[in-house]
Amino acid sequence: MNTRYQRHPELRLAPVEEEGVVLHLGTRRYFTVNDSGLTLLEALASPQTFDDLVAALVGRYDVTAAGAQESVREFIDRCLAAELLRIEGHA
Amino acid sequence: MTSTIKLACDDAEVRPALAAWLDATGLEPPGDLTLDVRVGNPASASSDARLAFRQPGVVVRAGPPEGGVRLWWEVAPAVAEIAPGASVARVTLSSAAAKQLACCAGTFLTTVLIFLLRRAGWHHVHAATAIDPEDGRGWLLAGNAAAGKSTTAALLATRGWAVGTDDLAFLISGATRVAAAACRAPIALRDGGRRLLQRIDGIPLAEREKFAFWPEDLGGVWAPRIEPDVILFPSIGDGHTTATSLGQREALAGLVRWSAWVVLEPELAQPHLDLLGALARQARAYRVTLGRDLFANPGRLAELVA
Repeated sequence: MNTRYQRHPELRLAPVEEEGVVLHLGTRRYFTVNDSGLTLLEALASPQTFDDLVAALVGRYDVTAAGAQESVREFIDRCLAAELLRIEGHA
Repeated sequence: MTSTIKLACDDAEVRPALAAWLDATGLEPPGDLTLDVRVGNPASASSDARLAFRQPGVVVRAGPPEGGVRLWWEVAPAVAEIAPGASVARVTLSSAAAKQLACCAGTFLTTVLIFLLRRAGWHHVHAATAIDPEDGRGWLLAGNAAAGKSTTAALLATRGWAVGTDDLAFLISGATRVAAAACRAPIALRDGGRRLLQRIDGIPLAEREKFAFWPEDLGGVWAPRIEPDVILFPSIGDGHTTATSLGQREALAGLVRWSAWVVLEPELAQPHLDLLGALARQARAYRVTLGRDLFANPGRLAELVA
């Protein structure tokens, strides 16, 4: 898959205690994120593939590749539903 | 008391009333902020296609594509505009708006000030502020109009606390800590709150069906500025008063909720959000359910968050 994801340009992040709050200026909604969610959103400041995001989690947390893939898949689905991500390209 | 916000107004009737109102707020932001008011024919809201952000009686449109912010009063024609990068709010009041200046100042112009103060790095939060005379800790109580902020602020004043505001505070980035400046106005209690405090006095605010008390009327003093050590997110309950400790993430989410203007004006949103984050790290936060037992034992709240 060559699909690349990037944070919506209207997102603003505020980290606290390695977690955080995400504000979407376009939809005027806000969300809380846990530590892995914050790690992914920080990485998504620039375009990232699914595998890039999995690698970001594996490199930071004690998690298997399979576990990281599941986490990233669920995270992307939730973020797309909330319009927090943009998709750059497709396979 | 004076305000550092400058007032420009040529209208002989409007100017002294607005100058008195502005000075009474006690707001002393840094920089060179100006409220420029004239009486004339305000522009129609239909001239701005941006998404409207509404609060009672006031419509706000802000951000791209033209930037800056425009506000309209819905009670009588009045409009305000702050251009991108400007530190001047240009306000046009219709003659009908000028005839109800107290109401206009209390709602519309107060909202204009909120946006003007953002230009000085002062970011609004819907909160009461107070200082515990026992240990000097600053308290910030954030919540909506029915959360019990005013009654709690009044109760604290009866205990000799310094109270800044029951409703309108501005967060400021200090040298090392976040402070909260108060917009000075009397504590406004509904009749129920007044009864709980066993008061029969107060200045009637007929249009709001409330009674006004200055902190000094209740045995307290005014605190123009506090440094919050404790954040409370209160609500009114049926049982005993309880407090639940919150993590920083929940505290920050609560502060975002009660600092709604953070979502407007992209260039100011991040510094506003950063300030809320710094406050969430600085203070211990609690979700509090206020019970009637508090009036028999007013020290209960301080015990719960000791």
